[in-house]
Amino acid sequence: MEVFDNLWLGVQVAFSWQNFFYCLVGVLLGTLIGVLPGIGPVPTIAMLLPITFNLDPIAALIMLSGIYYGSQYGGSTTAILVNLPGEAASVVTVLDGHQMARQGRAGPALAIAAIGSFFAGCVATLVIATAAPPLAEVALKFGPAEYFSLMVLGLVAATVLAHGSLLKAIAMVVLGLLLGLIGTDVNSGVLRFTFEVPDLADGIGFVIVAMGMFGVTEIVANLEQKGEREVFLGKVKHLFPSKEDLKRSWAPILRGTALGSFLGILPGGGALLSSFAAYTVEKKVSKHPEQFGKGAIEGVAGPESANNAGAQTSFIPMLTLGIPGNAVMALMIGALMIQGIAPGPQVMTDKPQLFWGLIASMWLGNAMLVILNLPLIGIWIKLLQVPYRFLFPSILIFMNVGVFSLSNNPWDCLMMTVFGVFGYVCVKLECEPAPLILGFILGPLMEENLRRAMLLSRGDATVFFNPVDKPISFSFLLAALALLAVIALPNIRKKREEVFVEE
Amino acid sequence: MIRLLAAAALIATASSLQAQAWPAKPLRFVVPYPPGGPVDVSARLLAPKLQAALGQPVVVENKPGAGGNLGADVVAKSAPDGYTIGMGAIATHAINPSLMASVPYDPLRDFTHLALVVQVPNVLVVHNDVPAKSVAELVALAKTRPGKLDFASGSTGSTGHLAGELFKQMTGTYMVHIPYKGAAPAVADLLAGRVQLMFDNLASALPRVKAGQVRALAVTTLKRAPALPDLPTLDESGLKGFDMTTWWGVMAPAPLPADITARLNAEVLKAMDEPDVKTRLRAMGMEGSAVRSPAQFSAFVAAEAKLYARLVKASGAKPD
Repeated sequence: MEVFDNLWLGVQVAFSWQNFFYCLVGVLLGTLIGVLPGIGPVPTIAMLLPITFNLDPIAALIMLSGIYYGSQYGGSTTAILVNLPGEAASVVTVLDGHQMARQGRAGPALAIAAIGSFFAGCVATLVIATAAPPLAEVALKFGPAEYFSLMVLGLVAATVLAHGSLLKAIAMVVLGLLLGLIGTDVNSGVLRFTFEVPDLADGIGFVIVAMGMFGVTEIVANLEQKGEREVFLGKVKHLFPSKEDLKRSWAPILRGTALGSFLGILPGGGALLSSFAAYTVEKKVSKHPEQFGKGAIEGVAGPESANNAGAQTSFIPMLTLGIPGNAVMALMIGALMIQGIAPGPQVMTDKPQLFWGLIASMWLGNAMLVILNLPLIGIWIKLLQVPYRFLFPSILIFMNVGVFSLSNNPWDCLMMTVFGVFGYVCVKLECEPAPLILGFILGPLMEENLRRAMLLSRGDATVFFNPVDKPISFSFLLAALALLAVIALPNIRKKREEVFVEE
Repeated sequence: MIRLLAAAALIATASSLQAQAWPAKPLRFVVPYPPGGPVDVSARLLAPKLQAALGQPVVVENKPGAGGNLGADVVAKSAPDGYTIGMGAIATHAINPSLMASVPYDPLRDFTHLALVVQVPNVLVVHNDVPAKSVAELVALAKTRPGKLDFASGSTGSTGHLAGELFKQMTGTYMVHIPYKGAAPAVADLLAGRVQLMFDNLASALPRVKAGQVRALAVTTLKRAPALPDLPTLDESGLKGFDMTTWWGVMAPAPLPADITARLNAEVLKAMDEPDVKTRLRAMGMEGSAVRSPAQFSAFVAAEAKLYARLVKASGAKPD
């Protein structure tokens, strides 16, 4: 078995004391920046880039990867404890994870997030080891038409994210789409809705909107209810998930892992979608969808597994094709190129130690993360016992530091505050932020891919639904249509109400 | 007590004297792009060398946004005291002023051009299934199938786009420009064969050409690229005078005192000539430039600005 020979080679590389050390440094740093709201892996890796110049390329790559998937772990901690999605992937974790924390079940939520992430990380590592090249081929099959249809499906599914009124959810999706239009039009270079503010030329950052609408809003809403917060934090009972929790979580973890592993390989928003997709699926298949948004453990287990699996498999297009699927992967390519290693299909054959060493280190890093994080849960819970009047100013400061570090621009802090105020208005109007965020992410991607597909086909719209030429796109649109039917058909209306309106 | 005061006074005068000798405090090195790209990587290669030579920390600061204009504007509006330097690139200093409705700085008057760091050729690459094996065959193919070929680029108004437009003009062919958000998704569609060709920068194209993922037909510079010595230039292939490079260099706000200008120019060039910097840059397909002095650099920027004013106008890339 060649795979085992290769993996054995990788294990030997990863377990050398030097690489072991850099893996540990990477995951530690990753956890830390993941926990700090807004400070993401991109500025961290950029800062550490010069240090890696003098490192062995394998050690450098192992450390930088550790920072990346470590931050995916850490991100869920802040999402659950203080309702703050520091990373794109943790937006969905906020929905049920923070509700669990409010019910005094922060411990089980954190533990399930860690266990789910560990399992997903291990599976995704195996996926990379056994199937990276063929999966990269699949990723290449995704052109503009396929992306567009995938986004349509995602948008239809977005309404499931809400647990209030369907009409308000749709309104928020549309508002998200409109906000996503701000910035430079890709095709013509025209500035849209920028009001001659140069800082708006690239649109509004996703992290800024998410931190404003979840984080700032949460703080304002908390300050409104005097003293209550300390009360609900006092009733933390057990730290670890009960048998019942585990029984409810294993299937979501499996499904999340599968979804994340697949969507992660798609460059261009795939990994970002995985946690949203996992949440949608869990709510759809759940026997008690009414609990979602109110602290359902499935709503933590599925998306957390999915985002970690997605983070891992997003290495596939980078390692096998040299195409970065996200900003972190672009940095990794920069780190490799400066070492004189050109990422691409030849890495696997020319530098087997690097390729397999990295894969083995991912498993090692995931194991380290779970060992590090499970004992930390007790400490994180203690953090909640800090009186809120001390906690919220520090959270606000960290958020501002984090948002500023995105592009060293004070404008971004201002925008976060604006979205915080807007988010508070939405809370008062009982409009939920999650559908808006999804619309905001998907809108620009959809428009871009729609127009690119039409440009490539010279205006022939059949590229989206021609089952012979574009079977992938066709099936996505079919699935979207089916989902729409579930929502719209009157004879299953009762079921829809169960799914969407739980108030 | 008196002795203590005297000592304190002595220290104070000593430090105020030192403040007059540049550099007395850390320098910031503004990169107008997000971390990880070639401009950022070369700045991060240079920073530790400058730090060692100047005896003061040199801190790289990424100020991305508006196609690099935000970062360039930060440099332009800083005090010309030698404590703010930045990377200025072909986009911020030659293309954007013609492409965009307004740019908040003057690329020539607001900057002291210190040293041109890197010039990278673009490479005309085609998907492996494209039958054309040379530029002449590609032109013939484009003529038999007008409007059927697509060329991808990282954005509207990028060098890849403008090179394509110039190619169309000089050969009298018609191909459709497909703009992307950055080079990565453009390359993905090129690898998948959804677009047939692209003018990619050498640094990004080199590994793919070597691995046989795409086929290179020509470089866009007058001279052949040292990294691919067998690859002809467009100029040799019948497009006489075709000469485009992607470039970037170190700049400071104007007017920078002459002694600081001379010192920074010397230190940047010295750092560029260090063997480890050279090998690292070469590994990425980047070569130093023949443009050495600040005056030559200024003249170079002015010439480029003129060239791209013409190209942008001819390409129709400028939005109304």
